[in-house]
Amino acid sequence: MTICLETQKVSKIFGGLTAVDQVDLTVKEQSIASIIGPNGAGKTTLFNCISGFYKPERGQVLFYGKPIQGLSTDVIAHLGIARTYQNIRLFANMTALENVLIGQYPHLRSTWVDAIVRHPRFVREERESIEEAKRLLRYVDLAGMGDNLARNLPYGAQRRLEIARALANKPKLLLLDEPTAGMNPQETEEMTRFIQNLRDSLGITILLIEHDMRVVMGISEQITVLDYGVKIAEGTPREIQSNARVIEAYLGPGAAKLSERFRREKRGPQVHEHA
Amino acid sequence: MKTALQQGLRTGAVFGIVIVFMALIGFTVTGPILLAKILGNAPKPEQMPAVSYLVLFLALTGVWCGAKASTPGRYSGARSLSASLAAGAAAGAISGLIVAIYAWIMGGVDARGTDLRPYLAQVSPAAVKLFLFQLGLPAAALAHLGLLVASSLGGALLAHLLRAVQFGRRVLGGLSVRTARVVQQARRFPYAIYVVYAVLAVLLIMLPRAWGSYWNYIIGTVGLYVILGLGLNIIVGMAGQLVLGYVAFFAIGAYTMALLTAPQPHALGWNFWLVLLLGLLLAALTGILLGLPILRLRGDYLAIVTLGFGEIIRIMLRSDLLTPITAGPKGVRDVMLPSIFGYSLASDVNFLYLILIFVVIFVFITARLQNSRTGRAWVAIREDEIAARASGINTFQSKLLALAIGAAFAGLAGALFASRNQFTGPEDHSLMVSINVLALAIVGGLNSIPGIILGSFALKGLPEILRELEDYRLLVFGALLVVMMILRPEGLWPASRPNLENHSQAAEPAAEKTAAAVKAEGD
Repeated sequence: MTICLETQKVSKIFGGLTAVDQVDLTVKEQSIASIIGPNGAGKTTLFNCISGFYKPERGQVLFYGKPIQGLSTDVIAHLGIARTYQNIRLFANMTALENVLIGQYPHLRSTWVDAIVRHPRFVREERESIEEAKRLLRYVDLAGMGDNLARNLPYGAQRRLEIARALANKPKLLLLDEPTAGMNPQETEEMTRFIQNLRDSLGITILLIEHDMRVVMGISEQITVLDYGVKIAEGTPREIQSNARVIEAYLGPGAAKLSERFRREKRGPQVHEHA
Repeated sequence: MKTALQQGLRTGAVFGIVIVFMALIGFTVTGPILLAKILGNAPKPEQMPAVSYLVLFLALTGVWCGAKASTPGRYSGARSLSASLAAGAAAGAISGLIVAIYAWIMGGVDARGTDLRPYLAQVSPAAVKLFLFQLGLPAAALAHLGLLVASSLGGALLAHLLRAVQFGRRVLGGLSVRTARVVQQARRFPYAIYVVYAVLAVLLIMLPRAWGSYWNYIIGTVGLYVILGLGLNIIVGMAGQLVLGYVAFFAIGAYTMALLTAPQPHALGWNFWLVLLLGLLLAALTGILLGLPILRLRGDYLAIVTLGFGEIIRIMLRSDLLTPITAGPKGVRDVMLPSIFGYSLASDVNFLYLILIFVVIFVFITARLQNSRTGRAWVAIREDEIAARASGINTFQSKLLALAIGAAFAGLAGALFASRNQFTGPEDHSLMVSINVLALAIVGGLNSIPGIILGSFALKGLPEILRELEDYRLLVFGALLVVMMILRPEGLWPASRPNLENHSQAAEPAAEKTAAAVKAEGD
């Protein structure tokens, strides 16, 4: 299977703080991978290194085998990596549809001169991109709301619009930074299904940061755990759940032992019954 | 009752201080002169207006004061007649007292023969005598007190009666509903806009012939500022880059025209149209060269650096070192007037036509850029530069393009300006031009073409018309900006984003659906 994204010993240092410390990460094509970890573990920093907001001090970021670290953000977007943000970053005073049109920017060709002289290329491209934007709005269930200013949309709709804007980029890899933050259980459930559907129907590789364990364990095929910038575990959801270092990172030293006992006690009677 | 009294006292104090302030800056002379003019009774120049106009002026202020004092705040309930009158009386008494004390002091100073003009240029003995209603001391102070109490009471009564019949609300409400309906009907009739264009075109062709040269000059200035406003709007309004040295591009256009066509200092005598184009291109090029190093800066830093750039250009133009090239502080005279195939466009009417043609061209260009991929990218950069870059926009290139196009507008406006005045000097290109252009775009409404045209009229046209207020231009300007920011923070004619989703087909049902969907989602 092709490897979509690979980071090799990526480090990002702010002053004296090593926010990301020699992290290796491999994401297979058309998989859903998650990065988890306590607050301040360096998850978003790693995202920023991948999408080009930060230039890592050391290490390499490979996208389909091609090094992309240090390239500027817009070039990386052209290559096919789109992202959403932890705190929504829409173009607040533009309409929802215009936000999606901006997402299509790298794929449009008409120049400002074309726009002034109404070149047929401009007219055709404008019509097609609006149609495409409407289609994307329908896809994220925002049909009919395209002419509202982005800032006037309800919270959940803004999250979906952000994803629509990222999808307009026609990405091969989609980075989702806490897509269900601030959502109630029902919305979270819908978002989870939506993400799964993205991968299944569009074949996009998805890498997400998430705090909601139900989401993470439910849809990820592979989970990477960061703590203080260091990768402390990697594996399938089942492996991560029982990993002692992960439990201690989240709950403090000694928690792994307690949890192990808790699990044994819980399992105990069941084992008995079966026996 | 208590709150009404308190409000009255507060309002009275404010109005009292305002009247004293107006007296100190000489507005108690200018105001009555304006009133006299409106009533068709203008005094001769350099002469004080009749006392009756001052009384009228102060009475109007008092009525306003009383009305203001008696109007309950938004969150308090209705007010009884006696409470309203009490508030009015309190306001009148306090403001009257303040003004009477001021009059007493001024009267004393005047009686001693002290001339205050070295300190307060507008407070001449004649102006003081007018303020005292040409009366003696106790009488004048009492007259002020009585006048303000009476007019303030009148204002309170008037305001109370108007509130009682809800006059204001009904009229304003009906008006806004009616205009909304007209706009809606106009939308249903797609050709209405062409009718509007046709009427505008006819007006623009007819009016310059009817107006006379003074008006043509004013409208020409407004037109040049519309071009400047549109150009700066691309940089500041769309791309969101606060560039304060915009006048530099204007200067480059003006000096290109002046130096290449005037007999002094170079006697090159190039072709007008060629130089016009060259001015535009040179300004654009300067924009790019300036943008290369500085567009990495953001916000305040960008503003300060560009501010410096504008000043550097002006100072260079007047420097001794460059005098052989730029003619130095005395400027360039006898700049060429345009002609086409031997037909001179020098007359004020023809020159105004020339300016109007360019205004139309630039309005057209701006309108087309606004809803294009380029224009949207600019707005996206303004909204969130980082997110714009992550969406694949090369923000640096985009900003550079905005700066170049904006600068080109200014270059052309500058070239036209130099040719029309047949003169340009360093002082035509002071910081005030940049500030004026920025202010007119903000007052009119950033990103809104009609707003910018309106803003140009308000800021460049009105001051020419209200020549009497010349001395107060900056004061009025500041007050206007404050009032604007409170009442219409998005400008006189705010911009709106295009409706692309429901553009053509069945706009209304879809809009209802949208509203319903938003509501459902909000619940």
